[in-house]
Amino acid sequence: MENLILEGTKYTPDIKLDADAGMVSMVGKSYPENTFEFYQPIMDWMEEYFAKNAKDKTTVNMEIIYFNSSSSKLFFDFFDVLDEAKAKHSIEINWIYDKENESALEAGEDFIEDFENLTINMVEKI
Amino acid sequence: MIGAEDKLTQELDELKVNFSHTIDKLSKDLKRQNKIMARSDTRQRKEYDELQLKLKEVEYLSAEIEETQREVVFTMGAIGERRSKETGNHVKRVAEYTYLFAKYYGLPEKECIMLKQASPMHDIGKVAIPDAILNKPARFTPEEFEIMKEHAQLGYDMLKHSNRSLLKMASIVAYEHHEKWNGKGYPHGTQGEDIHIYGRITAIADVFDALGSARVYKPAWDDEKIFKLFKEERGEHFDPKLIDIFFTHLDEFLVIRNKLKDI
Repeated sequence: MENLILEGTKYTPDIKLDADAGMVSMVGKSYPENTFEFYQPIMDWMEEYFAKNAKDKTTVNMEIIYFNSSSSKLFFDFFDVLDEAKAKHSIEINWIYDKENESALEAGEDFIEDFENLTINMVEKI
Repeated sequence: MIGAEDKLTQELDELKVNFSHTIDKLSKDLKRQNKIMARSDTRQRKEYDELQLKLKEVEYLSAEIEETQREVVFTMGAIGERRSKETGNHVKRVAEYTYLFAKYYGLPEKECIMLKQASPMHDIGKVAIPDAILNKPARFTPEEFEIMKEHAQLGYDMLKHSNRSLLKMASIVAYEHHEKWNGKGYPHGTQGEDIHIYGRITAIADVFDALGSARVYKPAWDDEKIFKLFKEERGEHFDPKLIDIFFTHLDEFLVIRNKLKDI
């Protein structure tokens, strides 16, 4: 399975979906013009990865600094995919935030609250 | 019959389960949506507050920059004035006169205000003229006069490199305030409307004030003598339109002169 790598822009995060390493990472801001269209390839990749190519352990690192409302909706959908895959795969999620960034901290807490079965670590940036 | 009823009950039960799943999912989605909305409202409020704060800062800084420019320009004008031992309020009066001329000539208000701020620098080039010539209490020899005339070019050279609109304007004023409408001025002998309006305005404002003030080499002229000269120089030394403005609004020019007279 091919890796999917998207370089970050002013409005979108750096995205690295590495099937060989079992590593998924999103770092940066998320204000795409059309959020669902932008993230569709990422969602498709995730579905295919868990269907056929998942490693023994998958690590998801998310460090989203700023994001619009449709991005938060999309992250819920993204966590839904992880939640479903959880039954068959070992997944660890790191939600990385800056302690000055209240919105990012709160968003992480929301995900923990909503996805009790997922392992979500709140990681404060040093 | 019994079999058919059982089947129906079974189907209904399945429907019930499906229905309840769908309801659960919908209600979960709805809760999420509400949460997202609430969070994003809070975030937007915070971002709005931050933006307002930044805007205030930018406004404060712009005002600060403009004020600094004004002060620098005015101080430079004052330096030039002090060195050539002009009378105390000369540049202030010239500033006010240029504003009036600009206003009645029809320049936009913002430009009039800028000209008022830039025109005090018209003689800044004099800082590079030797004292012995600058303050000579008698008529210049032709050689001295040639050196004296250099102050227009010198002032322009000092200011022309700036990209600041106010200093650019000041460079034009310094350069062209000794040009004459008939082309007999200096440094270039530029004619008519080829002389920038800032130069034409500062020329008449400067001469009006200089004639009415006592200098080391001459007493102050009385008004009749000044008005006579202005009429003669209409379309010669000065832009005819500006002479007309001067006489039409004479009372306003005299109010300024009175308010800012030298003690």
